[in-house]
Amino acid sequence: MCVAGALALLVYALTTASPYGLRVLTVAGVYALATFGFQIVFGLGGALSLAQGAFFGLGAYVTGILGSRYGLGFEATFPLSLLVPVVVAAPVGLAVLRLESHYFALATLGIAQVLHLLAVNVPELTGGANGLAGVPGVVLFGWAVPRGLPMAALVWGLVALGGLAGWRLTRGRLGRSLTTLRDDPLAAATLGLDVGRLRLTAFAVSALFAGAAGALAVHTQRVVSPEVLEFPVMVSILTIAVVGGRGRMAGAVLGAVLLLHLPEWFRFLERGYLVVYGAALLLTVVLAPDGLTGLLDRAAVRLFGPRPRRLPDPREPPRPPTPAEGLTVAGLEKSFGGVRAVDGVSLALRPGGITGLIGPNGSGKTTVINLLSGLEQPDSGRVRLGGRDVTGAPADRLARAGLARSFQAAALPGGTSVLEAVAAARLALDPDAATAEAHALWALERLGVGELAGRSCDGLPAALRRRVELARSLVRRPAVLLLDEPAAGLTDGEKAELATLLRALAREGMAILLVEHDMGFLLPLAGRVVCLDRGRTLYDGPPDGVRRDPAVAAAYLGTVPPAERPA
Amino acid sequence: MAALQLLVNGVALGAAYALVALGFVLVLNATAAVNFAQGDLVMAGGLLGVAAAPLIPLPGIVLLPVVLALMAALGLLLAVVAYLPLRNRPPVSVFISTIAVGIILQNGAAILFGPEPRAAPPLFGDDTLRLGGLALPEQSLAIIAVAALLIGAQQWVFGRTQLGRRLRATAQDPEMARACGVPVTAMILVTFAIGAACAGAAGLLLANRYFVTPTAGGDLILKAYIAVTVGGWGSVPGAVVGALLIALFEVGVSSVLSYPVALGALYATLLAILVLRPQGLFGEAVRRRG
Repeated sequence: MCVAGALALLVYALTTASPYGLRVLTVAGVYALATFGFQIVFGLGGALSLAQGAFFGLGAYVTGILGSRYGLGFEATFPLSLLVPVVVAAPVGLAVLRLESHYFALATLGIAQVLHLLAVNVPELTGGANGLAGVPGVVLFGWAVPRGLPMAALVWGLVALGGLAGWRLTRGRLGRSLTTLRDDPLAAATLGLDVGRLRLTAFAVSALFAGAAGALAVHTQRVVSPEVLEFPVMVSILTIAVVGGRGRMAGAVLGAVLLLHLPEWFRFLERGYLVVYGAALLLTVVLAPDGLTGLLDRAAVRLFGPRPRRLPDPREPPRPPTPAEGLTVAGLEKSFGGVRAVDGVSLALRPGGITGLIGPNGSGKTTVINLLSGLEQPDSGRVRLGGRDVTGAPADRLARAGLARSFQAAALPGGTSVLEAVAAARLALDPDAATAEAHALWALERLGVGELAGRSCDGLPAALRRRVELARSLVRRPAVLLLDEPAAGLTDGEKAELATLLRALAREGMAILLVEHDMGFLLPLAGRVVCLDRGRTLYDGPPDGVRRDPAVAAAYLGTVPPAERPA
Repeated sequence: MAALQLLVNGVALGAAYALVALGFVLVLNATAAVNFAQGDLVMAGGLLGVAAAPLIPLPGIVLLPVVLALMAALGLLLAVVAYLPLRNRPPVSVFISTIAVGIILQNGAAILFGPEPRAAPPLFGDDTLRLGGLALPEQSLAIIAVAALLIGAQQWVFGRTQLGRRLRATAQDPEMARACGVPVTAMILVTFAIGAACAGAAGLLLANRYFVTPTAGGDLILKAYIAVTVGGWGSVPGAVVGALLIALFEVGVSSVLSYPVALGALYATLLAILVLRPQGLFGEAVRRRG
């Protein structure tokens, strides 16, 4: 489909396009290039950057100022136009990327406004509101690229290069990691992905693309003015990305060609074309959230049937050496407001051991798991993993240090296949996405659900979702595994299978913590049981003692222990 | 005396900003969605005043109920078109849909009114009262009075009426509110209407002394956003205080240096706040909804 589209463009450019038509086509290429970057930060990473237009303008001004004021050539101005936006993006990104996405949108809008203010109010450098004229054209190795077809060819050549690079990035580890964290940042962190660093990378790459596009825009127009920093540029890029199809490089090209020609086709709109952009944006978000490429994909599936996916050969992921120590915590405390959710809990999860964590609802079991996996930070207490102090470490660092956890409600990303969802758990470990998928298939087969690999995660029955979620933990070959009610909703047969699996994992040297309500499942399995009540350890000992312990019985059945009885 | 003069000017500007931020934060609390069109709604309110003035040759205060009613209707439309279809999608969808509505409003206004700045009639009169060495433009006093009245009315509705209780319940926990029989969708529609009416009122108040252009929305949404960030994301009194602080900052720095410097410094301050104290100066009021 992409090839056919490229050919159609080529035929149009070579045969039918007027000089004016070529110019529109060139500008469309420029916007496609800018949108590639936006697809990476917003489409894949889910971070709504409102600075993409500003980085475009910044690249334009770098080329404009250096070219017209200092007479520098393309070899110098073009790399600098790429570099400067990245240099501006990095510190801002570093500062705000860990915050929630709406703050990121705000901060990037702030960058855009500051740059616009500077362009208008520092006329000595920028030419002020009038801008700078006399920007030279592109000179490549002494050859001045003329306007018209050669310039269009140069821009579209760069579009092809940029699109290919962007597409490879989408398919590769970075792209997969970005979509994983877009869909669920918390789950992504527990899979070992460094959310801040990934978003920063995406933001920097987006600035790079925007700078390149801005430079080419100025070479096409030969003038630079504050217009390149105004909101319509950002609006165009956003509309192109959403209408074309979020996160898709082909969508960026399709959207750019379509939207840049829209004002030409509907001449009566004149300046009103932005109203049409707004309407197109709104309609697409509401009616076709996957954009035009999404619609085309669905049409293709309807016409030709689903494209068969070739599965990789399953490969067992390497097992890291079992550490001598598992996970130990001492004196863990956590309060929410005035409530002590966890109050002085100590645990030792040794390699090869299965520990059960029980307690009535609200006793702090899930909070303990959240603290151990780094989703919450303890108020006090020490945590050691594999012999090293990891107190207060963020979730992604703990995950990379060999910790895995599951969630009570299996958190699988929507719209992706089971294989991709499991492979996402290997992205922080494997060199590339193909290896991650081969490892993922191994994990699915080990859990007896290899045939699910090609299925979509949406609409999977609860028991299978749990299994896929377990595969996500298992595939990482963790030293320590924390499972939050893995048996809930399973049939007796499935519970027996799960028990067999967990025993096998423990024999391999894994340290396992099981939060469970089902005593019939847990007690035969666990070597040790810890019972919590209101954040405190009530019982810590062998499983057969727990049923006889009066404090545990009181916590579950609500009888008041004699010591607390009012006199 | 000069400082006192700046204070009056700052409070007048801040009163109008407070209405903008108030509308923004009410919608935010009710829907957990960021209404990016809020700035353009302010612009729309201002231009409505400009358009209605020749038809109703009376002081601006008479236009206020007209603008409030029309803007409330626009708010309902915004909710129906850009929020309700997307309420179960990721929050970024609403962000984009409201950006889209903003684009339509902004460029529609540019087609209808042209790009040049317009002024709406003053609320009462154009005179300036002299009090000692202090120059008090009637319009500034009127802005402060009208904004205070509207914010007071909002507080009263939310604090003392059955409707207000339902609106607050919806903002606090929509699931729970629905379980208790609150018509949540209707309450969200009402909130959008109130939010847009606040924006429209602010537009009318601002459009006399500060003029209105179709592109004014971008700066205004940023200021509303900054006010809400400074005041603590989701806090209603925080938003009002944040708006006053921003306006005082803007008026103060502008008088010493220049307006562009003030704006630049404001954004720089915003970035600093986001980095150093992302929960706002007074703490974040809403936690992430699961």
